[in-house]
Order: sequence, then C-alpha cells, then structure tokens
Amino acid sequence: MTEVRPTGDWDGGGLAHEAFAFRTDRELTDRVVPFVLEGFSRGEPVLLVAGERVRTLVAEELGADVCRLARVAAAESWWQGGHRTLHAYARDLRALRATVPNWRLAAEPVWLARDDGREWSRFEAVANHCFTAMPYYSLCLHDRQLLPAPVLDAVERTHPLTWGGTAPVPTPAYDDPRCFLRSAQPAMGEQPASAGTVPVTTPREARRAVAAAVADWWPARLGDVVPAVHELVVNALRVAAFAEVSCWTEAGTLVVQVADAGPGLPDETLGYVPPADEPRSSRGMWLAWSLADDAALDSGPAGTTIRLFFRR
Amino acid sequence: MTPPRRRLDAPTDLRPGDHVCWTFSGAAGLAAAVLPYLDEGRRLGEQLLLVGRSRPALEEAVSALPGRADLLAGGQLVVRTTDEAYAAARGEDPAAQVEVYRREVEQALDRGRTGLRVAADATGLAGGGAAEHRRWHRYERLADELMGAVPMTALCLYDAALGRDVLGPLALLHPGGHRGAREPLVHLSGRGPRLSLHGEVDVTQVDDLVRALVDVAGAAPGEGYPPEGSRRDGPRRDGPRREVVLDLSDLDFLDVAGARGLVTAGRRLAEAGTGLRLVGARRLVRRCLELFDGGVPVEPA
Repeated sequence: MTEVRPTGDWDGGGLAHEAFAFRTDRELTDRVVPFVLEGFSRGEPVLLVAGERVRTLVAEELGADVCRLARVAAAESWWQGGHRTLHAYARDLRALRATVPNWRLAAEPVWLARDDGREWSRFEAVANHCFTAMPYYSLCLHDRQLLPAPVLDAVERTHPLTWGGTAPVPTPAYDDPRCFLRSAQPAMGEQPASAGTVPVTTPREARRAVAAAVADWWPARLGDVVPAVHELVVNALRVAAFAEVSCWTEAGTLVVQVADAGPGLPDETLGYVPPADEPRSSRGMWLAWSLADDAALDSGPAGTTIRLFFRR
Repeated sequence: MTPPRRRLDAPTDLRPGDHVCWTFSGAAGLAAAVLPYLDEGRRLGEQLLLVGRSRPALEEAVSALPGRADLLAGGQLVVRTTDEAYAAARGEDPAAQVEVYRREVEQALDRGRTGLRVAADATGLAGGGAAEHRRWHRYERLADELMGAVPMTALCLYDAALGRDVLGPLALLHPGGHRGAREPLVHLSGRGPRLSLHGEVDVTQVDDLVRALVDVAGAAPGEGYPPEGSRRDGPRRDGPRREVVLDLSDLDFLDVAGARGLVTAGRRLAEAGTGLRLVGARRLVRRCLELFDGGVPVEPA
C-alpha cells in the first residue's frame, strides 16, 4: 500500500494552495483527517473553517482529538463580501505569522454557492501571488453537491495544487491569476455612443464631474462612485497628463470608465490584493474595486481602461 | 462654529471673524489687495492696521486709499513695519503675539471702533527653515482661534515667490482665501474645543496638511518629551504625554493618500510625545482609514 503524504513535499516555508472537491462523507474524511493528524504530529496549529457538514464529519472522526484544533469556525458567518472577507482573512494570517512559524488550514468557502459569493474565485486566484510568503498549507474544500459546474471549473483554475490520491499534485487547469481575472471579469464591449466623456487633469475635476453625473442617476451611491473613480483617476494621472472619465448606464447599472494613455498597469491584480502592513503600499485599486459591484480592465503599452459597475 | 471655507475673487465682503490668506506678486499686487480691503474697513468704522516690510512701501501702497490723510492723522489707519508689529512673534511663544492683537482689539473697541482690521504682509515671517515654519504655523492657528472670539478681521498677505511648499500649509490654516486652481481644499481649524478639518483631503494637498497638522498639534517647546537621554527614565515607555483630538465630522472627502497622511501625522506626533485622536469620521472617511491597520483609531465625535 502506498503511503499517504497529506501535504506532499510542503516544507512549511511558504504558501501551498490546494483545492479538494468531494462528494461523499468518506472522500472528505479520507482527505481531511490525515491532513489534520499530520499537523498535530508536526506541532503545527491546525485551523478548520467550514460549513456544518464538514465540521461535524471531521469532529466525529477526530473524537477527543477535536479539542487539539487551534480553531474551529463556522464558515457560514464569514462572508462579508469579497473585499471585507479577504481583508479580515489577511489580518488573521498576519496575526498567525507573528506568533507561529507555520500552520495549516482546512477551509470550506461555502459562500461560493451563493450568487454574490462567486467573485471569491478572483480572490483565490490573487492569493496565489499575494500570500506566497505566508507559511501555511491551505486545503480548500469544495462540496460537489452544492457547487455548480462553472464554480468548480473556477476552483480548478485558481488552485495550483489538487489531490492526486496519495499526495497533492499540480492542477493541470491552473491559470495564471492575471489570465484568470481577465476571463472572469465582465466583457469590455464598445463604449456606447451615448456615453458622456470628460477629460480631466486633476482628481478634483473628476470628482465634480462624476458627482454631477451620479446625482442625476442614483444619488444614494454617490458615496461609493465618487471615491472609487477618484482613486482610479489619481492612478491614471500618475502616468498620464490627463484621464478620460466616461459614464453610461446599462440596464440599471451605472458604468464609469477611466481611461489613460499611460504605459499600462504594472500589476493588474491589485484590485483584489488586500492592504499590506506597510502604509506606503498601494490601496487605491483595492478601495475602488471594493466600492464597486464589479470591475473590468484592459491594460497594455498603449494605455489602461478600467470600468467600474454600480448597481442601483 | 467654524464657517465653511470661503473662496474669494477679491479680499472684500469680509467681516469680523474672517481670516484670509492672500498671495500677491509685486508692489502693485500688494496695493491691489490692500486698497479695497482697507477701504471696506474704513466704511465699517473699523480700526485699520497695515503691516509690511518697509514703511515707505506701505505708504505707497495706500496712496490711492480714499481719505488716506485723514485716516492717518485721526489714527484710524496705523502703518507699522513687520519688525515693529511682530516683535513678539520672533520669540519662542507664538501665543505672545496673539495677545498683542487681543489688546489691539480691546483698544480699538475702547476708541469706539467697531473692530480691528489688519492687513499684514507676513512674507518675511513665513520663510526660513522647518523651525520657523513650525512657529509660524502655530501662530496662524492661534491667530485664527482669536479671530473666532473677538471682532477682528485679517488679511494675511504672502508673496507668491515663497513657493508652494511654504504657502500650501499656510493657506489651509486660514478659513478663507483665493478662489482658483491652487485654493486649499481643506481648512484645518483651531477654533472650537478641538482641532477640526473642513472640506476635502486628497493626494494633491495631503503633504501640506501633514506638515501643518504635525506643527500645530505638536507639543509646544517644553511641553513634549524631554530631549533624548536628558532623563534616565523618560516618559516614552508610558506612551504619549499629551493628546490632541482632531474632529473629522466636517470632512467631506478623504482619499487613500489622505488617510495615509493622517496615519503618518499620527505616527510623527506620537514619536514626539503627542497622541493624535481622530473622532467623528463619516462612512467613507472611516473606510479609508480602516485600510491602514495599526493606524489611528477613530471614535465617534
């Protein structure tokens, strides 16, 4: 019989990010329980954040050992929208890193089953870059009975590791985070002829222009649209002499576009990267993306175009 | 109460309590600002005080002021050089200079005037190094507080040649100023029981705000930590020695760079022994501040 190696060659030095999809109780416990026990034997804190079914199954299998888990939390209560959820998660990771050399986590993002939770795949993709130095093994659990096929496809494309039967193996369908984001974002169609476009050379002009446009549309979202567009314009004006701000509506959704002729974004994923400890690190795209309901971008050597979508 | 920031096309329509920052270029620019300002005060029955670098230049600047000879002879218009008027400001304590003006206001009222109206070319006092800037920022803040309490109007004139680095922080310590592309978006007010911000803070002016805020909120000489090594058990371990509250209730907009600036100011102040406590942030302002973990905690107003 082949020996099972629940974390393969992982040496505890950085992030390992695996997706495990299960259907039966047995599939789940065969994967999770050895993973947990290996953590106990190595003296690593083991955290379990999952839905009720997974928590119950793991607890039954562990018996009295369940109290050795460093943390057991109900995933149902974790979802606060993608940005808030990831921001809180990043804080937890930093707190752990400050206290232990490495740890392991079995997590079931149950909110992927919700319509408003599907955006989580984008954060999963970007986590492969922004948490790379975090010394933990993240075993992400996905219930095939709860998650529709497109979500399970996205899970494969956003986790570099999958379960090979006796050890984790590379996921064949894994996608680079930038490519994944490009494919997951709303399509960047032509700007409608009816769109109003204003060239701006200061962020203040952009705020005034956008505030006027939003006041005619849905004033209740003024407090989201104005700061979001402001941050995009600030970024654009760092690399270009002026930016073009356009607004239009599509079936009740306000679209605001900020375009510049700068050299292109050095990192297209920043809208999904939570703020770092270092106060100088960028936060503008993160804030803009978190205030909007959705975002799409196109960036290259000829310039950058970003669209933010706001629903009534 | 701090009135909303005033954006002016000309230094007129001003009343007691108004405190305006005005940049000018050349003698003609100075005269163009001072004349309508003083003439308005004359009509309002105010005591007029004109301060600048040289007496002949000031007399030249008001040569076209209606009734100039009578105003001077009757004492309603007084002309002083900066050295005469601001002797106290050169000391360590800018509050002493503010007391000079408080007495001037009392004397004006005693003489039956309706208030004191000052036009002061403070160009020579605003320059220098970081220590001089700091002293002058603290003075402007205290002067503004005085104008919130007594019938005094001031037009603080600064030569545009001082440059943006010097004028930026000074302008936002005044509740009034020029309308235009360079106008401050925010006013840092010392009127009322606590410091407060009014208007908008964004990336284009955040450096000005950080400098002004650190200067006016910081400890006065002798008030903060003793110099490093002067005492064996310095107070640093016990946290800041004093606390300053900054009210954000009237801050309409704060961007990421602005929040970073407030965090930076808080850290610099803490290093010098002053705790900065932010209160009253609205939803967006709070959201930006929350992007900075370990930054300054925000409380309700």
